[in-house]
Amino acid sequence: MDNDYFSIDAILAENQKIQCKFKQRIPEMGHLGGGSERDILPLSKRQIPIWLAYIIVYSDWADFDIPQPFSNKVRNALRAEPRSVRLSNLVGAGAGWYVLGKTIMDMLGDEQGVEMSEMLITTFKGRLVDVIDQAQHFAVLGSVGGGGGGGVDSAPQMFREGLDTTERELFVLAQESARRMKKWHEEGSGGAKRVL
Amino acid sequence: MSLPQSLRTSVTPPELELIASQQLIEIIPLIAIEKTAFISGAFGPLQPPRKAQIPLWMAINLKLKKKCHIVAPEWLSVEFLQSRLDEEINEPGFSKLPFRYAEVSKLLLDVQVTFAPDDIQSTDKIRYLLKDLREARQAKSREGVDQINRGELSLSNLCSMEINEIRPFFVHAMGILTHLHRDASAEDQP
Repeated sequence: MDNDYFSIDAILAENQKIQCKFKQRIPEMGHLGGGSERDILPLSKRQIPIWLAYIIVYSDWADFDIPQPFSNKVRNALRAEPRSVRLSNLVGAGAGWYVLGKTIMDMLGDEQGVEMSEMLITTFKGRLVDVIDQAQHFAVLGSVGGGGGGGVDSAPQMFREGLDTTERELFVLAQESARRMKKWHEEGSGGAKRVL
Repeated sequence: MSLPQSLRTSVTPPELELIASQQLIEIIPLIAIEKTAFISGAFGPLQPPRKAQIPLWMAINLKLKKKCHIVAPEWLSVEFLQSRLDEEINEPGFSKLPFRYAEVSKLLLDVQVTFAPDDIQSTDKIRYLLKDLREARQAKSREGVDQINRGELSLSNLCSMEINEIRPFFVHAMGILTHLHRDASAEDQP
């Protein structure tokens, strides 16, 4: 998740569309938003992918709105309880909420950018402890434990399903190290001691 | 790289065990061995009943062949571990333990149990104490997660196994935080 040209996360995030309101008239580009006009008229709105919108906004031909995954409704929900929001539902399959947030944050001006950055960081930290806890719990159960939740486990299970792609990577990392530790502790004497 | 993602930033516990096995430990040899050259250095001569210092791997090997008695390190005793456990529970911050206590204790206790239950007293009690210590410290490191920020994280007196366990997770999380951060005076352009 960085500005690396080859980063898959960044490419997927930039594929998302955001709503842009054009300030000038742009001839012969009506097909961009899927509309039927030949030209783009001033003050008309189109959904443009971020990789294209970036240049358009930078050259001051349009303004864009903050997309739905970061709307005030979502922000308030996160401020109330970061762990109850299902981040994976907010953004379509493939892209992550955090990666999208970062891409948009790079386009925003200072004040909004800092506000967005704080929201992202607070959410991340709020959910982090739960990610670790669940990862260690699941290291015990192994890979079979995922399906056996049922009614008892539904709250943690819903949290797990709502994890963003970046959080899933962290989950896997923590789970792997916990599993290795557990295996090492339980294994009897191995290694050099077998030589007699 | 063909290493799985989680192994790229840390080592495996058996590798740490191997590294810990190079520590010197005191033994009472039962046979005589001359000064022998090994890859890591020359050890010996072993003259019973005089005590000698040899690497842990060698001590365990001799022990399996019943050719020495291992003198337990002073921290591997019920009193010491109990006092550390009390300190761990009552005070914030981690208590000071030998850096590789997890590996060394596992190696020695396993040898005791399987082969020669005579050198370390009350192995069961020690095992329980070690397990409690581990869990108490794990609980504390979970609290450390709250303090995480993109710059640095300082948890003093953490031991080798524990560091290795949390390293991949913490480093990745700190990387993400760095990406998400935005300075107030930062740039507006590509």
